[in-house]
Amino acid sequence: MNVGLEHYLALSAVLLTIGLYGALAKRNAVAILMAIEIMLNAANVAFVAFSRYVTPQLLTGQVFAMFVITVAAAEAAVGLALVLAIYRSRRTVDATQVDMLKG
Amino acid sequence: MVDYKLLVPQFLLAGLAFGLLALDLVLPPARRRYIAYLGALGLVGIVLSTISLRGQEAALYGGLFLIDNYALFFQGLFLVMGAVILLAAEDHVRKFLGHAGEYYGLVVVAVLAMTVMTSAGELLTAYIALELLSFTFYVLSAYATRDLRSNEAGVKYILLGAFSSALLLYGISLIYGATGTTYFRGIAGAVGGTLSPGLLLGLVLLIAGFAFKAAAVPFHMWAPDVYEGAPLPTTAYLSVAAKAAVFGLLLRLFSQGLLPAIEVWRWVIVALAAASITVGNLVAIPQTNIKRLLAYSSIGQAGYLLVGLAALSPQAVSGVLVHLAGYAATNLLAFTAVIAYYNETGHEQIEDFAGAAERAPYLALLLTIAMFSLAGLPFFAGFTTKFYLFTAAAQEGLLWLVGLAAAMSVVSLYYYLMVIKQMYIHPSRHSPRLRPGFVLTGVLGVLAFAVVAIGVYPGPLVRFIETASKGLFS
Repeated sequence: MNVGLEHYLALSAVLLTIGLYGALAKRNAVAILMAIEIMLNAANVAFVAFSRYVTPQLLTGQVFAMFVITVAAAEAAVGLALVLAIYRSRRTVDATQVDMLKG
Repeated sequence: MVDYKLLVPQFLLAGLAFGLLALDLVLPPARRRYIAYLGALGLVGIVLSTISLRGQEAALYGGLFLIDNYALFFQGLFLVMGAVILLAAEDHVRKFLGHAGEYYGLVVVAVLAMTVMTSAGELLTAYIALELLSFTFYVLSAYATRDLRSNEAGVKYILLGAFSSALLLYGISLIYGATGTTYFRGIAGAVGGTLSPGLLLGLVLLIAGFAFKAAAVPFHMWAPDVYEGAPLPTTAYLSVAAKAAVFGLLLRLFSQGLLPAIEVWRWVIVALAAASITVGNLVAIPQTNIKRLLAYSSIGQAGYLLVGLAALSPQAVSGVLVHLAGYAATNLLAFTAVIAYYNETGHEQIEDFAGAAERAPYLALLLTIAMFSLAGLPFFAGFTTKFYLFTAAAQEGLLWLVGLAAAMSVVSLYYYLMVIKQMYIHPSRHSPRLRPGFVLTGVLGVLAFAVVAIGVYPGPLVRFIETASKGLFS
């Protein structure tokens, strides 16, 4: 069996779905951040696959993926710092219990 | 070969940001207020280098980074906004927040991110700049570390913001896969009258991601909470600058990259605009907190700007730019007045503004000017710029949407007048007069002058903006 573009895209779609489910269904702020990282990686898989199959002579997609990995690291750093700050003051990271502001 | 002369403002901004961060380490706490003044002076100095570039047309780094009048207009606008925010924030930061130098440094980093966003000619550059801007605002929102509400605003903002960024990124990957390029102009070449399913899905995700960043209904849920919880100067900055930057990027992307498919996406933008205008203005009515009121008002304003994006003619783009400039001056005036009042009283409920006309007649007058301008009354910026924007949109056949926007502007007058009623009719529960500082008074005066000047004599501004937006369509 040959592995083609559609297999990579299927993997990417599965990853995105897992991430979406986690981000919407989880209550723990750290778990939501992890789910968002999975969504970013779903995009990365798609970028690299498109780079290989759609524009094999250009590296646009791969460069994009490298930058996204960096952005994801920065996001984890800022996100965890903010979650830690809220844990210190409230002793919880449950997103449903952090509700002083009513929207 | 890259002509680095054209990038001087960006280099200076990066240098200034790190310079302010370093100053925080060496200056004793009593002198840290000068960091803000120095930063504002630096930003005004960089405006001069931006002005010296006007009329230049260049595509740097193989088209990743574009310099044209459009980008330079936004650059100037962001620099001036940054300077105003630094001066308006100084008093507040000293009284209520710690780590002054870092706060000012981050404000300058946000200016840098916004100038790159409006110069980006390609999706990766745009994405990185957008993330730099978002991260800066996540930190600025959670800056009052001792205030639980500020912490909560930061966490809510980053969870929802990162989620929307991930959707946006997936949309970009699908657009890249369908067109084989990430350049705006390359996308325009690959986009025809009909779109492939992949491209269509990518476009939907892209619009959803940007709608979130611009706080358009139904992606606005984060805005009232973050606006209320974040420190006041951050809220002020978020409501004008972040919005202007997102629209600066969107207008370029849609006019240079997605114009051939306008019939496909126009109705989505029209729906977002109609929902934002209606929900923003109606939900603002029962609000009791001035920050939340201004948050919903800014959601309504995002709707007006989306009307211009849906029309997307050179005239409509000029309309959006003119309205952005007027809205920036007006909203900064409103927020600076609220900051000055909060610094002295520590209150931000609308009922706490009772008797403000006696306690602080100058602040009350300027807040009234800002509210009239936001509602769109003649002689103030809000009327002139809205009139220009709506005329342009009506010429493109969006008559019912313009009618809705005009009707909702009338509705908005009600909740703006409620604030004015508190200040002028209700008696004060506290007596002492308020004396805002010298710098805040000066900033307020300049902003009020700008609001009235744009309102009665918009000619020079409009002429420059028209040359800027024509370049976008050539």
